[in-house]
Amino acid sequence: MKPPAKMSKPTSLFVIFFSLFVMSEAVFEDQVGKFDWRQQYVGKTLFAHFDSHSQSSKKLFLATDKNIFASFNSRTGELFWRHVDKAGPEGTIDILLLHGQDALMVVGGGRLLRSWDTNMGGLNWEAVLDTGSFQAACFVAMQDTVKHVAVLKKAAISLHYLTNGHQKWVENLPDSDTVQYQAVYSGGEEEVYVLGVVPNSHLTIIAYSLEDGEIIKQRSVEAPWLSSVESSCVVVGHGVLMCVDTATLALYALPIQSLDLEVSPGFQPVLVSSQPHPARSPISEFFLQLGPDHHVLLQLNADGYTIAPLRDFQPAFLVSFSTTGEKTVAAVMTPKNETVKKKKNVASCMWSYSSDVFPPQLYVHAFLKKDDSVGYRVLVQTQDHALTFIQQPGRVVWTREEALADVVTMEMVDLPLTGTQAELEGEFGKKADGLFPMVLKRLSSQVILLQAWLAHLWKLFYEARKPHGQVKNEVTIETLSRDEFNLQKMMVMVTASGKLFGIDSKSGSILWKHYLENVQPNAVFKLIVQRTTAHFPHPPQCTLLIKDKDTGLASLHVFNPIFGRKSHIAPPALPRPILQSLLLPVIDQDYAKVLLLVDDQYKVTAFPSTKNVLQQLQEMASSIFFYLIRSDQGNLSGFRLRKDLSTERIWEVVLPTEVQKIVAVNGKRPNEHVHSQGRVMGDRSVLYKYLNPNLLAVVTESTDAHPERAFVGVFLVDGVTGRIIHEAVQRKARGPVHFVHSENWVVYEYWNTKSRRNEFSVLELFEGTELYNSTVFSSLDRPHLPQVLQQTYIFPSPITTMEATLTEKGITSRHLLVGLPSGAILSLPKMFLDPRRPEVVTEHSREENLIPYAPEMPIRTEWFINYNQTVARVKGIYTAPSGLESTCLVVAYGLDIYQTRVYPSKQFDVLKDDYDYVLISSVLFALFFATMISKRLAQVKLLNRAWR
Amino acid sequence: MAPPGGQGGGAVSTRGAGARRMKWALELSLGNARGRGDRQSNQGDVMYPIGYSDKSVPDTSIQETDKNLVEKRCWDVALGPLKQIPMNLFIMYMSGNTISIFPIMMVCMMAWRPIQALMSMSATFKLLENSNQQWLQGLAYSVGNLLGSALAIYKCQSMGLLPTHSSDWLAFIEPPQRMEIMGGGMVL
Repeated sequence: MKPPAKMSKPTSLFVIFFSLFVMSEAVFEDQVGKFDWRQQYVGKTLFAHFDSHSQSSKKLFLATDKNIFASFNSRTGELFWRHVDKAGPEGTIDILLLHGQDALMVVGGGRLLRSWDTNMGGLNWEAVLDTGSFQAACFVAMQDTVKHVAVLKKAAISLHYLTNGHQKWVENLPDSDTVQYQAVYSGGEEEVYVLGVVPNSHLTIIAYSLEDGEIIKQRSVEAPWLSSVESSCVVVGHGVLMCVDTATLALYALPIQSLDLEVSPGFQPVLVSSQPHPARSPISEFFLQLGPDHHVLLQLNADGYTIAPLRDFQPAFLVSFSTTGEKTVAAVMTPKNETVKKKKNVASCMWSYSSDVFPPQLYVHAFLKKDDSVGYRVLVQTQDHALTFIQQPGRVVWTREEALADVVTMEMVDLPLTGTQAELEGEFGKKADGLFPMVLKRLSSQVILLQAWLAHLWKLFYEARKPHGQVKNEVTIETLSRDEFNLQKMMVMVTASGKLFGIDSKSGSILWKHYLENVQPNAVFKLIVQRTTAHFPHPPQCTLLIKDKDTGLASLHVFNPIFGRKSHIAPPALPRPILQSLLLPVIDQDYAKVLLLVDDQYKVTAFPSTKNVLQQLQEMASSIFFYLIRSDQGNLSGFRLRKDLSTERIWEVVLPTEVQKIVAVNGKRPNEHVHSQGRVMGDRSVLYKYLNPNLLAVVTESTDAHPERAFVGVFLVDGVTGRIIHEAVQRKARGPVHFVHSENWVVYEYWNTKSRRNEFSVLELFEGTELYNSTVFSSLDRPHLPQVLQQTYIFPSPITTMEATLTEKGITSRHLLVGLPSGAILSLPKMFLDPRRPEVVTEHSREENLIPYAPEMPIRTEWFINYNQTVARVKGIYTAPSGLESTCLVVAYGLDIYQTRVYPSKQFDVLKDDYDYVLISSVLFALFFATMISKRLAQVKLLNRAWR
Repeated sequence: MAPPGGQGGGAVSTRGAGARRMKWALELSLGNARGRGDRQSNQGDVMYPIGYSDKSVPDTSIQETDKNLVEKRCWDVALGPLKQIPMNLFIMYMSGNTISIFPIMMVCMMAWRPIQALMSMSATFKLLENSNQQWLQGLAYSVGNLLGSALAIYKCQSMGLLPTHSSDWLAFIEPPQRMEIMGGGMVL
């Protein structure tokens, strides 16, 4: 792309020089992994297969709900490789079949058929299937070799070669508008059977010739009791279809035969059978599930007509078959302390492992040991999306917390001080009780510090003698303490499955986890830090607001973010649906910030709600405001708190929903500090920033999607008065809009439908050259509107998320952290997004260090903070200040989690890693001794001269 | 102190007055002290050179020129700082307005010297106390120094070292206190 306006030569030279000069930060090779880590996840397992191709194989293949096909090392749980497909229904994995070295996958609702090489994870071939929704697929074998795969769609069946994916034949299914074809089966003969059902009428079985797809047989069986083939019909033994009747509790084995079994009321019986090899018939044993925890193992006798019950399993949650060689294993999971029980036809063995979460899925791998006995390995997926791999005696080999593939929200909490540090801190906090006791206390705490230091030295000395690899500094909750610069923090992550994690930000190890049961899959979470670690005797306190989308009812989970334990503080009962929450800077006598919860009658509940808090609230009520946005009604409204904790509506803004809808709203982060109240101009006057803490950025998108008429609107609204400070409408633009609102600026990104490119736009608000009121800011007393400057740039890539860096005092310059779809995280200096960038360079602009305006925003590879550690499907970026002003902690989450530090203005407050301490100290010592010696020499000389 | 030439001239004239009695004489004997050995009786062997007289003669003939010289000297001292100003201007011009170590050092020198001079005014006045125009000279001296320091301040100003703009006080502005507490968001 060429820049539209030609830049003069000195300007472009200046740009080049400047951009070289501004940012030369990148990671050195030896810094890789020093401050950063990445964890890769795959999500909730849909299909799992063990690699039984070779005896010593340690591969495990998973297809997940995140559209990922992955291979794990079954010994360690590490990822071998992973293929991330498109998110959404386009990349859904419908089925995963494994045969030998080929893994076959139908993707995107029957759109594509893919074959993967399981050794390397490479794609063998990919075939585009005819349209039609996918129903079933199976391998088709001929003379003991598997050569084909049959794919059943709603109205057609096709046969593909396993070697290259070419279609052998495709046949339309007869009467596909009335018959629901749901299953396909091949037993190693020359035929492929398709099962279809007309609900509550009859069952259709069609046999196709393997050679040319001709219909060999077509048979219809009266089955008025049958509504679905899936899960209620299985093929057992030598081509016998076994169906279960939900109404009369009879097993139909075509010919029909009934059995006396009891089923739990209201439960749909499920049949489970196993076909170990596509070239052979399924085994004649099968499971019938009669209730949520009741399974019966049945056997079809050799005559093909009679069924014999082998064993009744009650209670039993999960059953599974596995085959190795000639032996087949049935695994039954019973809830007796979650025991995994193994049963090999008759002989059984049992072992157990403990878990407090219900496991919804069970995969068993049986293998022949060297002495020809059968060994088992089990992969259990529990409701909290944790994958556990268990060896035979019930030993947990590894656990993967796949819930972390879907982090919803997170916070970073400071670690507590160690006992000695807290002792010192406490000394200053307490009231002075006389000079002498204070001195004594100080001395004693110094002695404690000295002791700790000596112990530390001794430990260092002791460990230095050990070989390097053996020194383990495992992080445990007990040893956690704040480091010198507060660079290590506790990451509290909330996942969509309702599992909470506490992760050490330095190493990435999971220090605690807590599963919240009864969390709806579509629940909304809001995580609030009510008390930090700063108030020593009181433990830190986090509150998670969980709102059920369906009922609207919310609940609070109060916990200690360092240890993950549920707090003994009882959260208030919330009988009414909660609309929003609001964290006040008001603290109660236990230093916990007060959380206000607004219910659907606009009544406010305070938590904690002690007498002290209520009194404070009454005093402050007139200065507490909140706003609510209903995007379905296009309504923004502001409320004021009354003394009796009811509210009154004080303003309302309606954006008509037929024109535009509110997409997002963002205030400023409460922990953001702005060091400089203005900007220094070239003539050394000051342009004061408009720093309205109550400012909201509301983003709207037009409902009209036509490229000519679509627009994106950004409204800057004062949240207290409802005054619209500014509105910027971007015509011929479309979302998704990503934006950051901070200090006195808003940066947003959208898709320009006219030029068909991504554009960044920046709005900056200034008060002018004079401050209206420099001591207090009140939205109710601001007669002048701010000056708004805006500039737009072309960005060469779409983005997925955006966040701004944050530092302790706000002195360090800001960077924008932009997550790209490629998985890279770009650290873009805010300097490039400055509406004051001049088109013509002047003395003043040069003085101000303004980069001349260039329409294109560069992406420099050295700005990628995660070098080659790409974060798949970045969903959010979280930034937190550290104790060092130069350093900002960054966590990017999505499918993966990546943690690093960024230094937007370089490390101006830290000595470099390669700082030459030896040289400097040796020079200092040398100079010191030289001074001493020359002093002595000078004395001698003076004495001699005096004698002369 | 009077110039040494004047004193020598005086000695020759006295010797001339004493030599009227005889044309010339040489006293070779060491022991013969001519009545002037009162002071040197214990070291009578010291021989004075020819033309030496230990009687100082009051000198009145050059009083006028001496006074002029003192006056001139005092004016030199008084106008010294003023004379340095053109030189300083030239240095200022040459050093430019960039902030680097040499211009800073020069500015420091330029600022420090007048201040030092003004602080040691009493010493300078002692030097000037022989002069009739002592006060005028003192005034000229201090004006010169003040001009010098003004020049230094001007230089600081043009280099941007003086906190005269509002931007120089920007860092001291405290963030304004927030009067209202606000929060909320989209309906969950």
